[in-house]
Amino acid sequence: MRPARPRTAWKGLLVLAAVATVTVWAGFGVQVDIGALVKNVGNATDKIVLLTQPDYSFFPQTLPALAQTLQMAVIATAVGAAIGLPLSFLASRVTDPNRPLVALTRSVMNVVRSVPDLLYAAILVTVVGTGALSGTIALVLFNVGIVVKLISEAIDAVDRGPLEAALATGATWVRADRAAVLPQILPVYASQTLYVLELNVRASTVIGLVGGGGLGILIDQVRTFYRYHQLSLILLEILVVVLVLELASSWLRKRLVA
Amino acid sequence: MTAVLAPPAARPARPSRPRRIGARLVSVVITAVVVLAFWSVDIDWSQLAGFPSNLLRYLGLMFLPPDLSTLPAAFEATILSVQMAWLGTVIGIVISLPLSLLATAGIGPAWVRWPLCGLFSLLRAVPEVVIAVLILSVTGLTAFTGALAIAVGSVGTLGKWGYEAMEGAERGPIEAARACGASPSQLLRWGLWPSVQPEVLAFWLYRFEINVRASAILGLIGAGGIGKVLADNVQFRVWDAVGTLLIVVVVVTVLIDLVSGALRRKIITGTWR
Repeated sequence: MRPARPRTAWKGLLVLAAVATVTVWAGFGVQVDIGALVKNVGNATDKIVLLTQPDYSFFPQTLPALAQTLQMAVIATAVGAAIGLPLSFLASRVTDPNRPLVALTRSVMNVVRSVPDLLYAAILVTVVGTGALSGTIALVLFNVGIVVKLISEAIDAVDRGPLEAALATGATWVRADRAAVLPQILPVYASQTLYVLELNVRASTVIGLVGGGGLGILIDQVRTFYRYHQLSLILLEILVVVLVLELASSWLRKRLVA
Repeated sequence: MTAVLAPPAARPARPSRPRRIGARLVSVVITAVVVLAFWSVDIDWSQLAGFPSNLLRYLGLMFLPPDLSTLPAAFEATILSVQMAWLGTVIGIVISLPLSLLATAGIGPAWVRWPLCGLFSLLRAVPEVVIAVLILSVTGLTAFTGALAIAVGSVGTLGKWGYEAMEGAERGPIEAARACGASPSQLLRWGLWPSVQPEVLAFWLYRFEINVRASAILGLIGAGGIGKVLADNVQFRVWDAVGTLLIVVVVVTVLIDLVSGALRRKIITGTWR
């Protein structure tokens, strides 16, 4: 006998209906207005033309900001990776025998990660003043969250044999972690640090939009004065820097982990 | 009694430590770059001395106690942000799904695939906020244009994940469907979709989680929602309100991550937890 056709279509329809409802609700919330959009884009053709014509003579003026962007990214990566490494050992059940401490570290890190980098920057700008320092601290916070997540997951997956052996010789947890776990995760650590550097270069180009230093400050300036041909040059620079770094970093990371 | 010791020469010499000149060189270069960055950057490091006490002071201003009377307004603004993120994700999905189908090897022709893959990597390379600045400078600043910016920002990753999933799909069901005479649309629905569905649904949800954060950021540059309210309150130094807003941001983001993460696990593994 032919088996009865499974009736699961109603589930899909239900989900689809729910998604459609939420979408319509969201549409009303953000006040979708296609007419106004079309009109605005129509009025903005001159801006679009300017955006496709980068003003290359502006390039020398962008160099200090570009340098600052890279400096911030490098410093934040170094500091974030350095702070993140010991915290990752605290956040993994493999290397940290103290369960409440593991839970505490993890939940603090979850909270740290749930705040976007630009939000940190917006607040830190008022705490330490505008400039590269506030942006760098914001990036560090953002990095520590990511490093701890990625590295503690790597530690969770580590081969426990060496650790047990080290503990059996009477080593303290710290020493056993250092001798038996650290060497195993170093390649991953290096690779993820490079990944964080990639993220930082992206983030540090825009963190200046809220006053955190780097190219973003320049974006903000030319945007407020409607200098779109200069804006387009800055965007082009960001694109080139990010692409070059991404290529270099993915090449290095492949060599590190493989 | 004379103990006979093994002659030392019989013991093989300890191998010399491998010299990893390359690794040494890389670490020297990295150290140099980091030191150079610290030394050359335009930061007055002495400012850091006052940072911890300053930070504590501001944290005190924000959270001891947070101004809970702004809670309703904070929730309203957060909901707008989430709506922005949701709408942006949906629009991004609607744009990216057909594009990633065309970009899949074996479906789209090569002259369509390569430009599309290029477009996806271009969109992924540009930071989302930059895309947003670009779009918002043309369309003006509203929550709707914020959602559009999020949508365009999502197309890069969604497109890439999409064609990767479809290229990794099982060939068997597709061949079977073709063998029994399925039309192209039936081929997609019954041959391809069932095997990629869990993965695709999971990364749509994951992208929504990312977009919730992105929408808060877009608010900071003026697109409305929680980011805008936060930026305004920071500007006017209403710290206890900032504290409430931060709490709401963290709680809502963590909640959405939890729900979405549970849904993703359910979709991928078939069980809750």
